[in-house]
Amino acid sequence: MIDVKNLVKKYAGQTAVQGISFAVNRGEVVGFLGPNGAGKSTTMRILTGFLPATSGEVSVAGLDLLENSREVRRKVGYMPENVPLYMDMRVREYVEYRAALKGIRGRGLRNRVSDALARCGITDVSRKMIGALSRGYRQRVGLADAIVHEPELLILDEPTAGLDPNQIRAVRDLIKELGKDRTILLSTHILPEVEMVCSRAIIINRGRIEASDTLENLSKRVRSGSLFLELKVAGAEAKAALEALPDVGQVDIRGEADGWVQLECLAKPGKDVRRTVDELIKDKRWPLGEFRYAKPTLEDVFVELTQE
Amino acid sequence: MIRTILVQTKRELGAILFSPIAYVLLTCFALLHGFSFTLCVEAMQQGVKNVTIMFIFFNWFFFWFALILFVPILTMRLFSEEFKSGTVEPLLTAPVSEWDVVIAKFTAAFLFYVLLWVPSALFYTIYQFLTGHVTPVQWGPLFLGYAMVLLIGAFYISIGLFASSLTRNQVVAAVLAFAGIALLFFCSFLGFFTVNPQLEELVNYISSLNHMRLFANGTFDSRPVILYLSGAVLFLFLTERALAGRRLKN
Repeated sequence: MIDVKNLVKKYAGQTAVQGISFAVNRGEVVGFLGPNGAGKSTTMRILTGFLPATSGEVSVAGLDLLENSREVRRKVGYMPENVPLYMDMRVREYVEYRAALKGIRGRGLRNRVSDALARCGITDVSRKMIGALSRGYRQRVGLADAIVHEPELLILDEPTAGLDPNQIRAVRDLIKELGKDRTILLSTHILPEVEMVCSRAIIINRGRIEASDTLENLSKRVRSGSLFLELKVAGAEAKAALEALPDVGQVDIRGEADGWVQLECLAKPGKDVRRTVDELIKDKRWPLGEFRYAKPTLEDVFVELTQE
Repeated sequence: MIRTILVQTKRELGAILFSPIAYVLLTCFALLHGFSFTLCVEAMQQGVKNVTIMFIFFNWFFFWFALILFVPILTMRLFSEEFKSGTVEPLLTAPVSEWDVVIAKFTAAFLFYVLLWVPSALFYTIYQFLTGHVTPVQWGPLFLGYAMVLLIGAFYISIGLFASSLTRNQVVAAVLAFAGIALLFFCSFLGFFTVNPQLEELVNYISSLNHMRLFANGTFDSRPVILYLSGAVLFLFLTERALAGRRLKN
């Protein structure tokens, strides 16, 4: 659906995007992750034809962006960051105007607008001024605009930024619902969001792609999970014994009290040490208080990949 | 794409009519011209000979003052506001061309400009009615006078539109437009200060004052028509380029 090759974008004196390549397949919901200023919005603006690329090839829906910019724009629904809208229009009026601008004519227009309003849950405010709406509702108006022409591809730039938890949940559910029958590329820096909504994540940092994979593979790639232990033994002794195990990377003492020690044991990337640690404990006959394994979160991956 | 332009023109006209500026402009324009017209009637009563009331009206300084001052205020928000609020992004990521947008904005501003002049035509109608048609309507000067109003308006609006496409700050856009329009207009007076025949010819060619005097007298000349129309097209072209260039810059 999206095919980007060696995309470079230079602003006056700065390179915002440094030769990235990635692809998004039909039907996927892909999260575009990265710290602020990583180049997410720039990339999205290029994909939607708002900004020209400095160099590189971009094709969307099988069409070259440079040659068929207008045709591509017809097939893409885009919600820019901060959802700029005309505050002086009523909700329905705005979505009808946008639909007409996108080439929907005649009898189909009213139906499609009603449908888009209903899907985004804003039918009841359709006669209100956009300027009088709360941020959450505006976000949904932006979404209604993005889907009104039934695009094959949705590009959403931080769709949940600045919303309260209830609104975030509502928008997220809506995105999940929309993702059932179309391709979505969404950017965010809220990581649980990606875990909830997306099937794949592309992590971008300082204009480069650091990783692009399914969430599960990403998690495995960077490091393994943490093993939290509580043992009735001297801390130093336990630490030394654990670190002597072959696949154990790092052991941290998190606390010691009443003869019990709490440890966090990190395996080397791609390794699972639950079994060997268990055997060690049994071997040493240490009384066991806690044995808990936590999978690495996307947050761990993100921090690992995007930190200096 | 005529349909796209129509859709966008409707939106632009809505935006103009929704803003309070529109009603301030309409009111002040009508008041100013009402006052001006009263003075014209006064002047006629003082016994000004050989000219029609519309001739005085169109050449009165009120007329120029309003034109030079009000057009920049009308055009300043056309693009600047979209840049500032970011709405230019959804606008230009819709399947529209820069030309569609430029033409739509120009058309909407021009239509509102026409609306600004409606009261003045009513003054004349009322005047004719009240005076019991003592002077027959002189269609030539009336028609050509208004034609010149529209021509100069189209040119000035295109300058204002261009100024607005250069900045996200509305005040800067208004000042730029005002400077450009005023500069062009005041070139009309250069003729008084020069003895250089070539410069004088040039000044005569571009002098809006001369054009208006000619047309409001009922004399048609194709040169000003071409001047204003080509000027408008030039600035619309520059606007389109500025809009496309803005994408490159950001």
